[in-house]
Amino acid sequence: MAEAAWEKPLGTGAAPRSWSVERLKFLIGGVLILGAVAYLMISGTLAGARYYITVDQLLSNQEYVGQTVRVSGAVIGSTITNTTEIINGVETQIIEFDVANVPENYTDLGQALYEAANNPNAQTVHVRVEGQPMPDLLQHEAQAILSGTLNRDGGQGGVPVFYATELLLKCPTRMSETYPDLTPAAPGA
Amino acid sequence: MLAEIGIATLLLAFVAALYATVAALYGARTGSERLVISARNAALTTFPLLLTACVALVAALLSGRYDIAYVWTVSNPQTPTFYRITALWGSQSGSLLFWSLMLSGYSCGAILFNWKSDRRLMPYVIAFTMVTLAFFIGLKVFLENPFDRYWAVNGELVKSTFIPQGAEAIPYENLANSAQGLNPLLRHFGMIIHPPMLYLGFTGFMIPFAFAMAALASGDLSTNWIRATRRWTLVAWLFLALGLLLGGRWAYDVLGWGGYWGWDPVENAAFLPWLVGTAFLHSVLIQEKRGMLKVWNMFLVIGTFSAMIFGTFATRSGLIASVHSFARSPIGFPMFVFWSCMTLVSVVLILWRRNRGDLKDERAFANILSRESLFVLNNIIFMMLVVAIFWGSFGAPVLSELFGGTRITLGTEYFMTVTPPLFAALYILMGVAPLTAWGVTSLPRLGRALLIPVVLTLITVVLFALMGMSSPGALFAYAIVTLAGYVALYEIYRGVRTRARKEATRTMGLYANALIELFARNRRRYGGYVVHLGITVIGIGVIGSTLFQQQTQQTLSIGETLSIGGYQLRYNGLTQALAEDERQMIIADVTLLRDGNELSVLRPRTDYYLLSDNTTMPMTIAGAYSTLENDFYVLLIGWEEQTDTTATFKVYINPLINLVWWGGLILMFGTVIAAYPARETVRASVVAPAKNKVGARA
Repeated sequence: MAEAAWEKPLGTGAAPRSWSVERLKFLIGGVLILGAVAYLMISGTLAGARYYITVDQLLSNQEYVGQTVRVSGAVIGSTITNTTEIINGVETQIIEFDVANVPENYTDLGQALYEAANNPNAQTVHVRVEGQPMPDLLQHEAQAILSGTLNRDGGQGGVPVFYATELLLKCPTRMSETYPDLTPAAPGA
Repeated sequence: MLAEIGIATLLLAFVAALYATVAALYGARTGSERLVISARNAALTTFPLLLTACVALVAALLSGRYDIAYVWTVSNPQTPTFYRITALWGSQSGSLLFWSLMLSGYSCGAILFNWKSDRRLMPYVIAFTMVTLAFFIGLKVFLENPFDRYWAVNGELVKSTFIPQGAEAIPYENLANSAQGLNPLLRHFGMIIHPPMLYLGFTGFMIPFAFAMAALASGDLSTNWIRATRRWTLVAWLFLALGLLLGGRWAYDVLGWGGYWGWDPVENAAFLPWLVGTAFLHSVLIQEKRGMLKVWNMFLVIGTFSAMIFGTFATRSGLIASVHSFARSPIGFPMFVFWSCMTLVSVVLILWRRNRGDLKDERAFANILSRESLFVLNNIIFMMLVVAIFWGSFGAPVLSELFGGTRITLGTEYFMTVTPPLFAALYILMGVAPLTAWGVTSLPRLGRALLIPVVLTLITVVLFALMGMSSPGALFAYAIVTLAGYVALYEIYRGVRTRARKEATRTMGLYANALIELFARNRRRYGGYVVHLGITVIGIGVIGSTLFQQQTQQTLSIGETLSIGGYQLRYNGLTQALAEDERQMIIADVTLLRDGNELSVLRPRTDYYLLSDNTTMPMTIAGAYSTLENDFYVLLIGWEEQTDTTATFKVYINPLINLVWWGGLILMFGTVIAAYPARETVRASVVAPAKNKVGARA
């Protein structure tokens, strides 16, 4: 008895057809696959595309109101609140805080975040996140990258609130290099 | 002294790698055996040198040499010994050093193991591996040196590799006070072994790339380079898969959102080389068996290497905004230049050989219903996935900013629209392709082969429906995923049955022996089927945890209970504790019940790490009760500060999520089987080199 074949032998069930017919089949198959993937990518891009803008751009341009966008800014630590509310009969975690504008062009993100979060004159927007646990990295000077929509609560001219559905945070210590001071060590350190 | 040892060994390794590159190329060009051997020896010295540098850095971390900037950044006097060791890859420059050590390890391994059997390729293998290694060591020597020290110059603090003029050394004890310590998020078992696994995966793909380029440069375009690198590729592929899974496990345990994959650009950057590598592992079979797809395989191996370098560049350059990315650093531009140059050189080499007619296929595709055609289709789908993920992660943001002025990013919706149909197509191919034959398969024959797996799949789907699953999408998803698994099991069964038929008496022992013999004789094929089983199990876990996750949030008083998915969670109280590393822990005590029966006591908690600037960083640690059926995952998200009488919990039930991790283990087992060398296939290692002539000119 022969050993079990390592690989299947060449099939003999059907005679090979002419190469041009097979080539046509490959071509049609290839075009169909490419067409389907192109359709998926275009529809996915249209569904998932968000402008990635600064707080200044968000607040100065009316076209962004009500549109899903992605905003980057510096978290102002003193404004962070973490509460619960009953929404539609369900207890929901509500996180609110302000983010300050970080200019687009910077050389050191850590420095830019520090300046933005501590500048009383920086443009800020109030952020509200519903139904998400408090992220560990939500702290003063962290970079917040928020996906959501800006609504003007309280009618025309009311306080703008950014309703974030996605919250990405980066710890400020990972952004810029810090240096030690030259203070002598405490005894026993 | 430790810093001096580190700097000296890094410099020596850099010089050795550069010398090995030049000597190997010159030796191959002039046919000088002596030079090539010298290049080999220089290449082999890089590993002990880099190992010494790593040991010096670990010794500095363990002994608290805070005058070394890296040590000051990633450790402090409270850091436990274990985390001091793992801090070697806790930040950019240390992780680059560790990355280089692994690259050197792979390179030396390939040079040693393949020296005799692939002598003609070796000079170019040395050149390609060593130029890459020299580049990465150069980044550390000139731009991100992990042995940079702090000096006091006229009362000012200066960071420098070498002693600045007029500098005084700072007693390292004086810097201990302000040392930063390892980022709390990185203090997790998954994070300890996730980076080494990823690096082992990334750097391992250097070897097939180097051999492919050596084949192009030397003119040895037979399947030698493929046979030489098959196991290296499998090993790299396995480590990258484990790295991705462990990264997912870390996100699941630490980031506290109940998920393991967020389509973050950095996650995607690590996923791309794995996808290209998987396509390569399949298509290379066609070249071995049928002498086809020679140019395509070259492009895939370049694609894997290129995706690996690009992923490293994207993560470390500040190109993308991600929770995982490193700070913007000076290594971004050189990495981009290196990536572009290596890709360009590789493509030029392929085109040169192709135009000379050296990469002509030995056969043409005869039938669309053949194994090679379905493998090509598998490759096309893999590459479509790569293009789609690359576009969503990098293409759209970068191009929109370049040409439109405003950056446009693509959210999770994009990936959840584009990728599921492509993954579904891959699972269908995984189910059908193993049943087809090389050359041509008739439809009736394929239909007969598929009959039993399809029947089993239908029975499974009906069972799922009877168990209450009503979503047509979920049933369809389970059908195509389980079909792939049943085909793998059926193929193993058929192999066992064929072997067992040779014997007159059939006993269980006979079948067990037949199974062992089957795997021993055809490790690659049946190991591959086990990998398919692992991917099937992962697929079942992903579908379950994605489509059927349940969650709730409630504030409970002591003794109060919440209910979700047939479980009850009772809050018993809150305690505070201080850990050995001075973490302040707030621990909730909760009891998990099902149908009134106590299952477990869970302790979700929040840890507060004291940072060097005397602020604290919280870290939420979930409490989880894991079974194969699901994970009951509970987070403590709030509590009454004054009285400790109420606490707020976020609870997730993640069905079948543990199959994702178990599938990973099966995948690992299958890959080990496939890669394990069979005694009868060990190649003769006595291929005599040409007399004083290596790397013969093409």
